[in-house]
Amino acid sequence: MRSASGASDAPDPAMTSTTNTPLEAGAPRGAAVYFDGTSSARNDVVVEAGASGLRILAGRRAGQGGDHVLDEWSYGELQRMSAPEGVLRLGRRGETLLARLEIRDPALAAAIEDRAETLDRGGAAERRLRRKVVGLSFAAAASLIVTAVFGLPALASRIIPFVPLAVEHKLGDAIDKNVHAALDSRHLGAGFACGSAPGETAGRAALDTLVAKLEAAADLPFPLRVEVVRRAEPNAMALPGGRIYVDDGLIAKAQTPDELAGVLAHEIGHVAHRDGTRTVLQTAGLSFLFGMMLGDFVGGGAVVIAARTVLKSSYSRRVEAAADAYSVDLMEKAGGDPHALGAILKRIVADKDQGMKLLLDHPETKDRIAAIEAVAVAGTPMPLLDAADWSALKQICAPLPVNATGNAAVH
Amino acid sequence: MIAPTAGAVTFLGREAAYWRLRIKGAGLLMLTLGIYRFWFATDVRRYLWSSTEIGGETLEYTGLATELLGGFLLAIAIVGPLYTTIALAALALGTTGMAIAGIGVLVLVLLSQFALYRARRYRLTRTVFRGVRFDQHGSAWRYAIYALPWWMLAIATLGLAYPWAQASLQRFKMHHTSYGDLQGSFAGSGSALFLRGLPIWLLVVGPIIFAFVALGRMVDWNALNGMMADDENNPLALLAGSAGINVFFLAAAALGASVIAAVLLYPLFAGIMLRWWISGLRFGTVTVQSHLSTAQVYRIYLRFVLFVLPFLLVVAGAGAVCAILSSALVGSSRDSMAAEFFAGAITLAIYVVIVLGASTIYQVVVTFAMWRHGAQSAELFGADALGCVRASGAPDSALGEGLADALGVGGI
Repeated sequence: MRSASGASDAPDPAMTSTTNTPLEAGAPRGAAVYFDGTSSARNDVVVEAGASGLRILAGRRAGQGGDHVLDEWSYGELQRMSAPEGVLRLGRRGETLLARLEIRDPALAAAIEDRAETLDRGGAAERRLRRKVVGLSFAAAASLIVTAVFGLPALASRIIPFVPLAVEHKLGDAIDKNVHAALDSRHLGAGFACGSAPGETAGRAALDTLVAKLEAAADLPFPLRVEVVRRAEPNAMALPGGRIYVDDGLIAKAQTPDELAGVLAHEIGHVAHRDGTRTVLQTAGLSFLFGMMLGDFVGGGAVVIAARTVLKSSYSRRVEAAADAYSVDLMEKAGGDPHALGAILKRIVADKDQGMKLLLDHPETKDRIAAIEAVAVAGTPMPLLDAADWSALKQICAPLPVNATGNAAVH
Repeated sequence: MIAPTAGAVTFLGREAAYWRLRIKGAGLLMLTLGIYRFWFATDVRRYLWSSTEIGGETLEYTGLATELLGGFLLAIAIVGPLYTTIALAALALGTTGMAIAGIGVLVLVLLSQFALYRARRYRLTRTVFRGVRFDQHGSAWRYAIYALPWWMLAIATLGLAYPWAQASLQRFKMHHTSYGDLQGSFAGSGSALFLRGLPIWLLVVGPIIFAFVALGRMVDWNALNGMMADDENNPLALLAGSAGINVFFLAAAALGASVIAAVLLYPLFAGIMLRWWISGLRFGTVTVQSHLSTAQVYRIYLRFVLFVLPFLLVVAGAGAVCAILSSALVGSSRDSMAAEFFAGAITLAIYVVIVLGASTIYQVVVTFAMWRHGAQSAELFGADALGCVRASGAPDSALGEGLADALGVGGI
């Protein structure tokens, strides 16, 4: 072992483990720089490319000074290290010491590369490996995309049974505060929900009758909590944990109790399928795939957002189609008209411009209606509410007193 | 054979080769949606390291792409559950959940600093010079806890404390850095950096502060309060009413002046920072002095503008042609989802080409050139000491790099 004296140009023969091995006749040799890995001292050496390995000899030029052998490296353990152009930098494979040999002499470098197969002359093996890496990276990206499109929804369905009902219940309660505030865009406060004012209780009772009939026919993980709210939009929505909001505007558009029941059954489908939990799981999975695993490069943010948006819409379309099918099924079980949902859909959304198809969160309305009407109905459906109850339900939202609305509109 | 000057730092990199490396890497990043980045980063580091020559010997990067990939996967396994826990706590537990989420965000910020420190350690222990590796010791958590207040102070003082924060953090890092048994340190002073940077700060942040003060004087706050109490809820209209159009004019002028000053002075700032950092580096008795000239830095940034503008024009032109072609091709089936997908994908691809292309141009024309000129203009004193260093240290895992990557704070 050499000391760190640093005076490397004329190595002291006493310090080297000298064995006066005879040099191989005719073996290529040349000047090189050697670092022994224990110190940063630079050693100008002569390297001889022998039959089985490199011999590193002290001394500036071949034949000058004592040809002391500083080290011997076999060809099998040689490893090419990164170096600037025109330099062959060698290290030893599997060695904790970072001993290095730097060869600038092109003839010597070529001779060594000829003898040591592991050095991958011309870099063909490296290029082959790199092509493999690119191919595998590409395959990994493709497989993650396929996982996002098909695997995630399937995985979510498998996981849902293991998510405790109490968790979904809590999730629903947490979301409900925000949803309630967002729905109540006119800031009606206590007047937002219908069914509790004196003139509205009959309507509430009729609604309860209708919900009870549907609930009895369904097999639900949660008790339903249906509420009618003062909103002009003809819409309804289900939250995680069994809460359903029905907009006043939907009741106004419904011409028969079964049309309203059809929409309710669709929302009950979301409750039965635990779609709130499903959406949370799918969104989390998407964030993981497109955010952590994929898209981490400059400009990748846009790719991530686009992919998430398109995929979320596609998940949503599948969920909505399943809820439609559930509605048809449930209406039939409850003895109502399964096609009524198609009728009210036709009236509400058929002539609306729906924008980009890629970004739709529901399937196209004409496809939904076609799917609903394609189901054959056995037997004659009976309206789920009688005329008196239906007319009461139509009035579940009594007109608000003028001063109340006037005041509410300002704040 | 010419004996190399002991104190000379040279940069051997060729821009043409670096262009090839960067463009090929950018293309593969796009195709693999970023998965290729571990290999790309490793290639780039290998090239930069082995192109940097100090006293006749080049640096060597010994890191492997597979190590970075492993570090990233490990980091995902840590960060993933952490994110989930924070999100679930915030959702399920109400007020206490919000507190837990707040603590979680703090943990994430600390973890980012932890990651940056550990990533630096990875890179240093993978940097070999003359057969001896660099090393970084010290606890990364200590660094994170030390760095957090400095960054908060720098933000709270609108950047005025930034020089002292930088000096202090560089001192921390360099005091825990060594080359073999040669102990590193940092001699740059926060006050000196502050004095250099103060004129820039005044020109960039000054107009905005001035505008705020002036607005405070121009607006009749009593009248405004009165009108707010009267339940009129359009303060902007009131501002215009009470102080006239002058208020808007002043705000726009101040913002404009600030932005123009920031753009024009950024190269000056970048030059000051690089010069200050290089001149502050110490290893044992080895000292460095940077002679980087400001004019040179301005030439680098000017060149970037000259490269990026034609690039944007070309891509915009190509994008327009693509749009016309695609609408002609799929025009008949406009309403199909495939047509929408096709059009969307083209728009997205053009956006990615623009952003990734501009970033590639920046990396070659600015970062590469700054590396070159930073190295070439550095002068080493007492560099003989670099020739008698004893090896020490062992390579570190790539967890830090992976965490920095997963948290989006890393530079890989």
